[in-house]
Amino acid sequence: MSLRIIIFFLIGLLIFILDIGFNAEQDSKDIYISDQELTSLLSAWESQVGRPPSDDEIVNIINNFVQEEILYREALLLGLDQDDQIIKRRLGQKITFLKQETIPEHPSEEELEEFFEDNKNTYYIPATYSFSHHYFSKESNAKERAASAMESFLNHGTELVGDPFFLGKNFYNYTAIEIKKNFGEVFFLALKGLTINEWSGPHESAFGEHIILLKEVSDGFYPPLEKVLLRVEQDYLAQAQDKAVADYINEISSEYRVIINPNFKF
Amino acid sequence: MKINKSFIGLIVVSTIFLIYASGFYKNLQSNSALEIVDFSTEESLENKNIPSNPDRIPLYGDLHVHTKYSFDAYIFGVTATPYDAYKYAIGEGIKHPLGYEMKIKEPLDFYAVTDHGFYMGMIENYADTSSKMSKNEWTKPMHNLNRPENVTVESTGERANLFSSVLTQAIIKPYPWWHPKYLGAWLTNNIQLALQSFDYDVHKSAWADVANAAEEFNEPGKFTTFIGYEFTASTQVEGGNLHRNVIFNSSKAPIRPWTRIDSLNPEDLWTWMDALREKGVDSLAMPHNSNGSNGQMFEVETFRGNAIDKEYAEKRMRNEPIVEITQVKGTSDTHPLLSPDDEWADFEIMNKRVGSRPPTYSMPQGGYVRDAYLRGLTLEWKNQGNPYKFGLIGSSDTHTGAGAFDEDNYWSKTGVLDGTDMGRGSVPLTQDRIDQLSQYAIDYDQPISVKEIDGRTYANVGFDQWGASGLAVAWAEANTRESIFQAFKRKETFATTGTRMAVRFFAGYNMDSIDLNSEDMVKNAYANGVTMGADLFGENNQTPQFLVWAQRDKLAAPLQRIQIIKGWVEDDSGTPKEIIYDVACSDGLSVDPKTNRCPDNGARVNINDCSISSDVGAVELKAVWTDPNFDPTIKAFYYVRVLENPTCRWSTWDAVKAGVSPRPDLHKTIQERAWSSPIWYIPESSNLDIIPL
Repeated sequence: MSLRIIIFFLIGLLIFILDIGFNAEQDSKDIYISDQELTSLLSAWESQVGRPPSDDEIVNIINNFVQEEILYREALLLGLDQDDQIIKRRLGQKITFLKQETIPEHPSEEELEEFFEDNKNTYYIPATYSFSHHYFSKESNAKERAASAMESFLNHGTELVGDPFFLGKNFYNYTAIEIKKNFGEVFFLALKGLTINEWSGPHESAFGEHIILLKEVSDGFYPPLEKVLLRVEQDYLAQAQDKAVADYINEISSEYRVIINPNFKF
Repeated sequence: MKINKSFIGLIVVSTIFLIYASGFYKNLQSNSALEIVDFSTEESLENKNIPSNPDRIPLYGDLHVHTKYSFDAYIFGVTATPYDAYKYAIGEGIKHPLGYEMKIKEPLDFYAVTDHGFYMGMIENYADTSSKMSKNEWTKPMHNLNRPENVTVESTGERANLFSSVLTQAIIKPYPWWHPKYLGAWLTNNIQLALQSFDYDVHKSAWADVANAAEEFNEPGKFTTFIGYEFTASTQVEGGNLHRNVIFNSSKAPIRPWTRIDSLNPEDLWTWMDALREKGVDSLAMPHNSNGSNGQMFEVETFRGNAIDKEYAEKRMRNEPIVEITQVKGTSDTHPLLSPDDEWADFEIMNKRVGSRPPTYSMPQGGYVRDAYLRGLTLEWKNQGNPYKFGLIGSSDTHTGAGAFDEDNYWSKTGVLDGTDMGRGSVPLTQDRIDQLSQYAIDYDQPISVKEIDGRTYANVGFDQWGASGLAVAWAEANTRESIFQAFKRKETFATTGTRMAVRFFAGYNMDSIDLNSEDMVKNAYANGVTMGADLFGENNQTPQFLVWAQRDKLAAPLQRIQIIKGWVEDDSGTPKEIIYDVACSDGLSVDPKTNRCPDNGARVNINDCSISSDVGAVELKAVWTDPNFDPTIKAFYYVRVLENPTCRWSTWDAVKAGVSPRPDLHKTIQERAWSSPIWYIPESSNLDIIPL
């Protein structure tokens, strides 16, 4: 074997060693920060603090980013990501999000319509009542005073005047539940049957007598899809996302085998 | 050479330290309790026209509700979520841990879930055997604690033991000082991170869930929620309760609650709230259970024992405009020892320090709101400012997600522990339960847990001093967060013991010109005076009049009387004084000017079936009143107390339902009541220059 060959061999070996050293260094020890990353770092800072960072602060932001990256990579080299409950859960979350995003961002009209039909009751708008009243306190001859006030109003056009009521005189768009809560069941039943825009009474409540003017009734109704489109769409997507994840797990879990020690004592 | 080597070593070590330390600097921002998160949902609210009433309407709510995220609630077997709690408030029934349904008689107008900020969400995490925390040996007694078959009366002993011993021993164990987490916690100003038993991610997500639930249920015009939590601090030596609930004014809230781990000192809480306010997030803190504070809730000095000054007073009032006067764990209006001349002072008194083991007496001085108002005036008299010029609310402090407001529909608050009549000591124990409790006392080396009264055996628990109370009421233009929050800040609030009575209170110099029977009465009163929570300033030595008006709860007992409670400090001696005037009586009766009392209206309760007199009491009461001993040169406060006719106490209801006679040593009946926030009379400034002695 000639010396030449040995020298070539040694040079080759040297280049090989240098190459390993250099490349390894370049592969794992470069921290490349893209323009995009820089922009998002700076705008995140700005959105938290409320103003753009100064030059010193920019240096800090970048240093912090770099240090975090270094710690992260070193931790990976040491295998600290293994068997970590939080990392496991976080990765689980990430794939869940990924699967949730597989569904189309905007469902088709038919899909929405079908969903809306199936869940109609969620979107039902209950009836509301707008009314005014004059109140006659149980504390002072409610029945007589109310009856006579109503009588003079009907026969002589005298202005209706009652006692002060805790919640005032005028009520706008109250639901049945709200009316029952504030006046009692009996009052609501009377109110419900009144003719619009016609003073009526006296009607009894838990607090005394009332002369009531029912002004407007908005019947309860199922709103058309257009009115609640955004809500329906969000509800649909929420349900679709849950389903996408469930489907994915169902599909993939058949490929897994779970082994538990049959002799384990629970 | 040798020196050189160690020098290099030093550089290496310090460089590593610096990199390490500055790495955490980033977290200083993300972990700090000042980082603000917008929890608002993107749900589009059709721009509804929310009617606004300039005369304001009373809105009823509860600002003190715990769910499974509270460390103690979870131990008590509670698995109700914040979502369940809000469902309860809008009228849906939810399940008590013991399986029965809890349903409110009528929906509430507002509700705030306020879980303990301290360790929020952690106990559930210990119980979850798939969690990282559950790998710790000390979490074992809590593993799968609330599996359905374990949420039973029989588990009471185990739970009481967990609450009183295991939890306190295990929970606050910091990492050793050299541990990286300890350093991290120090650097990020988040001491919680230094605790072995704490998982910040779990904690944050529990808090986010509380906030998200509030956002989901908030419906302007119909139902209001607040994002909130409880700051559960106490004094270190005496264990005096310094608890406060904190609520935020909008969808924006901090990334984590400021808790007792950050600081036990409420002044630090206010500093944090001030800083949040600077960032546009307004909040208020509401002290509660001053009755169990051993007199330290309304101290005459600061937490650190310094003299109170005007700056302290302003800071406190800026952050704590309202105080919870009544709740399950007793009522804090006044104590018979503080107000010997008040015949109604002995009402739902809870005289133990909150959470004390063994139960320890709580000193009344400094623990009741009437005393606090007087202390405030005294401090002001000494030129130290008035830190106790707060308004009043009630709330439940339920730990089941569902407030128990009615005497005849009562489940107390600590889940499995007091969810049965026997458990809360109102009905004699069966032999089975006596054996269980005795066995538990032996197993866990606990003191005797039963007591003999008149030859019958009852559970020896503090729950017999608790009660079905209370509600917060705000006078607001509309049922929206903004409107209700502003009412709290104005202190235009009143408290009730759970019933839905209502009370108006105005003061001014021509209230006597207002027609009490006019439909415009309220409009005129607002125009001519001030209302509850406000100051009335002196005007040319005139004597003001007070207008009061109360309405009954249609489902509860009728009203018996309205009272005005006046307190002041004598100008020459600085002696605090109080006096109670009845100002309106039911059934056409009138106040005896010698005794300042209404005559007996004859209302009675039949304690065999809890029926009440049906023919006496008022639907509403109103009056204009003038203080017969008014002195225009002296500061004074005036607040209203409205009393219903007597009804059965919950313990009597329990006994009636169980078919036994009520426990002889407990009050058989109570008079449900409401308290308004005070109106403070402030003399003209020429008379105000009192030189401190």
